[in-house]
Amino acid sequence: MRQFFGMSQSGNLAEAVRGMDRPQFIMLLSNQAQFEAHVKNLEELYPGIPSIGCIGMSYQDRIVESGVSVIAFSDGVAAAANVLEEVSTVPVKYIERLERDLSKAGGSERDTVCIDFCSGNDACALSTIYSVLGPRKISLVGGTGEAGLVSANGVVYQDAVAYAIVRNLHGRVKTYKENIYHPLGDYRFIASNTDRANYILGSLNGKPAKQVYQSILHVTDQQILTQTFKNPFGKINGDDTCIISIKEVNGNALACFRQVNDSDVLILLELGDFKAITEETIRRISHDFPTRSAVFSVNCLFRYKLFTEHNYMQEYLKKMSALGSHAGLVGYGEHYNNRFVNQSMTCVVFE
Amino acid sequence: MFFLKKGKKKPKQAQHSGSRLYPVLHVIDSLNDYKKDLIQKEVESLWALNSVETSFSGVLSEADHFQTHLQDLGNSFSNISQAAGRFADVRKAISDTVSEAQDKVAELKSTSMEVEKSYSEMEHTFEKLQSAVRDIQQCMGRIVSIADQTNILAINASIEAARAGQEGKGFAVVAVKVRELAEQIKDLTSEVDVGIHNVQSGASQLSGSIQASQEALGHSLDTVNSTYETFHKITAAADGASSVQDEISGVISDSNHALQLIYQFFHSIQKRYQEVVKHIEHAKKLGTTKSCMFEDIDNMMSQIPIIVKEADADQR
Repeated sequence: MRQFFGMSQSGNLAEAVRGMDRPQFIMLLSNQAQFEAHVKNLEELYPGIPSIGCIGMSYQDRIVESGVSVIAFSDGVAAAANVLEEVSTVPVKYIERLERDLSKAGGSERDTVCIDFCSGNDACALSTIYSVLGPRKISLVGGTGEAGLVSANGVVYQDAVAYAIVRNLHGRVKTYKENIYHPLGDYRFIASNTDRANYILGSLNGKPAKQVYQSILHVTDQQILTQTFKNPFGKINGDDTCIISIKEVNGNALACFRQVNDSDVLILLELGDFKAITEETIRRISHDFPTRSAVFSVNCLFRYKLFTEHNYMQEYLKKMSALGSHAGLVGYGEHYNNRFVNQSMTCVVFE
Repeated sequence: MFFLKKGKKKPKQAQHSGSRLYPVLHVIDSLNDYKKDLIQKEVESLWALNSVETSFSGVLSEADHFQTHLQDLGNSFSNISQAAGRFADVRKAISDTVSEAQDKVAELKSTSMEVEKSYSEMEHTFEKLQSAVRDIQQCMGRIVSIADQTNILAINASIEAARAGQEGKGFAVVAVKVRELAEQIKDLTSEVDVGIHNVQSGASQLSGSIQASQEALGHSLDTVNSTYETFHKITAAADGASSVQDEISGVISDSNHALQLIYQFFHSIQKRYQEVVKHIEHAKKLGTTKSCMFEDIDNMMSQIPIIVKEADADQR
């Protein structure tokens, strides 16, 4: 297979798709003002080609902040795209679409992946999608777009999750999640007094969450919002840690960027040597896949800000491009199988 | 997010009364209650597990503490063993010093023997000297006797010279001279006799001094011989210290052996501890995965009431 990346910093779709030949699956990453028009135009240019889209920044060897970009797969993939609607309440109503698309793709865990763009309520959307993918052991990589809009097959949807089942016809696929944080101290908390609908974390080990966070890190209410770059929470799930960013202070509680549930086990994280960690991920991918056709990734907006602040973003993209064709989306949240995470990078590698 | 709260059961019942799908809602409602209870129990389980872990951390900490003490004890034994080991060094140093001193004393003894031999030779020489002096005294006696006879002869010659008158005058002068010479010989012999007497007296004193020195030397040799015995005693005492060291080493070795047994015991206990820690970690991991499953269950169940509500609306 081949991956095409085209972009226009000025938002010119025609410029972005220049050179895109016989795509078999397209991802559109646009800006809020032009999103609907871009979706429509793309469908006109490539009718019937499975596509999904969302609003957000994108990148290949450099960032496209407010223009448009297209990422397309060709020469050896089978893809089906669709959408689960009413994602904030009842996405399961549309689950048969996913089941049909999976059956149509006919792939296996070895060669098939699900890529999704979600407009919100990601955890519920992922639980629903993974109720189908999980038993088939199909991996998922995706992210959250801006403005509550996504597109699938030329149609814009609100309150939906657009997905694509992509099968690599000539090789394997594998997904990765990169965490540039490590545990801080031996702190271990059991969450309680949570409000999962509003992503509120009330108490940690029975004490007000804000007080616990402040007492450990000695920060003011205001500083908490920036401290999350250095010290987010981590939700433990067996051997895995899912990062949870703090959005704001809410009384004595903390509002987060993903839902927290009573009985969640949380730890405090600390920013690690992100340069070394990203290099290690590249090494791991290179080891797993000596030959790579494409790498599609979703990088969190927090990472983009952090890397930019450390003048590392451009260097990071350059290093990732050493893997071959690498492109992706700057998301508001990242998806990895049934887990909605923050401040992470998830990616899928095609052999 | 729409999901049923335990405390809102009654209003919901009123809302859904008459719905054909109300039993489904009821089941969901009950399942939600069970799920909440389950989560509460899970939180309690996690707390209990945390308490177990905390208590066990205390046990591990105490065990580590104790093991540190054991380590210290082992180090103390090692220090004692090292200190006892220094006995051997001291013993060797004593032995070397004693050996060196013995050599020196042997040298002293040998020198003393040579001195003693010299004294003997001196004594012998003195005896010869005394004998020679006695011979000289006898010779001197004969010289005095000859001088006396010469004197008598000189007197007789003077008498004869007087008898001869004028012709005998020259002879009388010679006789006088001979008598004077005989007198002078007697005087000289007297002086020599005094000298010989002085020599005898000095030689006698020297002989006394030599005897005294010989006696002193004899005492020294006795002292040297007794020093040898003292050296033997020192060496024996040092050897005794060495056997004490061996005893200490033996006790330390026994203690170390006992300590090793305790170490082994603790090592095996620690293995068990590690297993317990692993089990606790595993249980904790399972707890964390359960929390994620609860999230999935929540996310899925929360959609059912809406489906039911929509189905009801469609029916109407």
